Amino acid sequence: MMTNKVYQVPYGTKDILPGEMKARRKVENAIINIFDKWGYDEVKTPSFEYVETFGSTGDESNFRFFDKANKLLMLRTDMTAPIARLAATRLQDGEKIKRLCYLANLYRYEEIQAGRQCEFEQAGVELLGASGPAADAEIIVLAAEAFKAAGLENFAISIGHVDFVNGLAREAGFNEEETEELKSCLRRHDAVAIYEMANRMEGSREEVKKLFADFFFLQGGIELIERVANIVRDEKALAALNDLRRIYELLDAYGASQYISFDLGLYRSFNYYTGMLFEIYLPEMGYPVAGGGRYDKMMESFGLDCPATGFALGVDRLMLALARRGQTNNRNWDVLVAFPEGKIQEAIVKATALRAEGKSVKLATEAMNLEDAAKEAQTLCCTSLVYIA
Amino acid sequence: MNDYITIALPKGKLFKKSVALLEKVGYSAENVVEDSRKLIISNEETKVRFIIAKTVDVPTYVEYGAADIGIIGKDVLLEQEKDVVELLDMGFGKCRLMMAVPEAKRREKLTDYAHLRAATKYPNCAKEYFNKLGIQVEIVKLNGSIELGPIVGISEMIIDIVETGRTLKENKLVEVDSVFTATARLIANRASFKLKFDRLHKLVEDLRVVLAEEGK
Repeated sequence: MMTNKVYQVPYGTKDILPGEMKARRKVENAIINIFDKWGYDEVKTPSFEYVETFGSTGDESNFRFFDKANKLLMLRTDMTAPIARLAATRLQDGEKIKRLCYLANLYRYEEIQAGRQCEFEQAGVELLGASGPAADAEIIVLAAEAFKAAGLENFAISIGHVDFVNGLAREAGFNEEETEELKSCLRRHDAVAIYEMANRMEGSREEVKKLFADFFFLQGGIELIERVANIVRDEKALAALNDLRRIYELLDAYGASQYISFDLGLYRSFNYYTGMLFEIYLPEMGYPVAGGGRYDKMMESFGLDCPATGFALGVDRLMLALARRGQTNNRNWDVLVAFPEGKIQEAIVKATALRAEGKSVKLATEAMNLEDAAKEAQTLCCTSLVYIA
Repeated sequence: MNDYITIALPKGKLFKKSVALLEKVGYSAENVVEDSRKLIISNEETKVRFIIAKTVDVPTYVEYGAADIGIIGKDVLLEQEKDVVELLDMGFGKCRLMMAVPEAKRREKLTDYAHLRAATKYPNCAKEYFNKLGIQVEIVKLNGSIELGPIVGISEMIIDIVETGRTLKENKLVEVDSVFTATARLIANRASFKLKFDRLHKLVEDLRVVLAEEGK
């Protein structure tokens, strides 16, 4: 008897079908190749780790479970912490400067939408052991190169700096609690609340108040950095602006400055960032498709005190952007080798020879006449037919 | 597509004022009316497009990028927690979310309302409000005529928007506590805000000027 049961996949997961997967693999390979070209070593870490690796006992957005010894495990939610763990525990005696990259599935319990699933894939790099603008510029340009390799050109990169936010808060005389409130507003993208905070500020110079009120609108080219640097007096904020200026000079040398704008109100939801941070946007997608930044304090907590910077891009989001341009179905093979009764051995020899030439080849699974073979080639998505007469 | 600014406008009480304000800063099109049969109205000259949407859908249009910006009450934003940029407090459409009970059922302290039922159109805001008070309450989600809840016996209290207080009085309800006050907000899609920054920044600045003049 036929059963009516439909087997579903769990909430927030999905199958990737033929054609779609072929296009995705091509993009993944292109990205990993770019990382390799820039000297990054690919690594792989376990899909789940002890919760401590992620610096907490997890929250409701984590998938958690127990092992047989009753230790709490967690499906990884990002790759920065596992890579930091791996570098600090397995590669501590290696080169001082470590360039690592990965392609990994991650898991977060999310309200699902297009491009936001509970299981999702990220490609990314971490550059460990290097401080200073050269490492940061390298990471930003590499992110841009990854998008180009995937076939996307019209992206925009916004760069901000954690210490600019901290410095401006200090200049405004904010205590710890007020600074946290400011960061929470920046994270939530609540320009209204910040405007209200600015109006409540007392004792600050008018220009600083105005900067604050406009925190979300501090976006623009290198001229914005100069303008703001003329207003701000806090050392930390000025150092941050100087850092951004130097990063920009290097991006210019890479020929990448046309993709760049500054966004001094940029603040990402991960709280491990300590320096510059950035996000990448595509017109097809309503939210960032990549992000990263400098995190100089995290490695220390794994026992290897060193500076670090890196980024990750959402492969699913990137594929969705490509799909919206109609560029993601890629089901084609070069040749179908077909044969009449009694000629299968010759067909095998031919198929083997064609594959050795580098062609992708399907071999017919049974004998057929020429007319049927032509139809079969179409059905099987082969662009040409070789018929053994 | 990309050189247009698409604006999602909410049907209902915020509609007229929104259209009027946007018109003052040069964002207008012919026949932008609430009962328009066309759901999308474009002005090719100024490269502006309007989507007329159901109120609760405005943040969704903006979050997904179907609209670059939208105008919506802060109450809806607080209830939905969408990932959008909140750009400007437009000042109008002031309303208040409050907790009310039938006059006869009024209790001494807020915590005395623990383990009762509250009818509301705003289940998330209600949940957060009671969590902050540290009491557990059963939330009954209704989609309209919230004040009916206590009358027909499906709840002991209500969490609802009040503007004048007349409906409360007519139904013999008294306000016990205020949850928050809300006004209309200009919101933007996160990517649009970066990619169309110059135009949106100018829009906000112009609106600030217009609102300041009106406030005088």
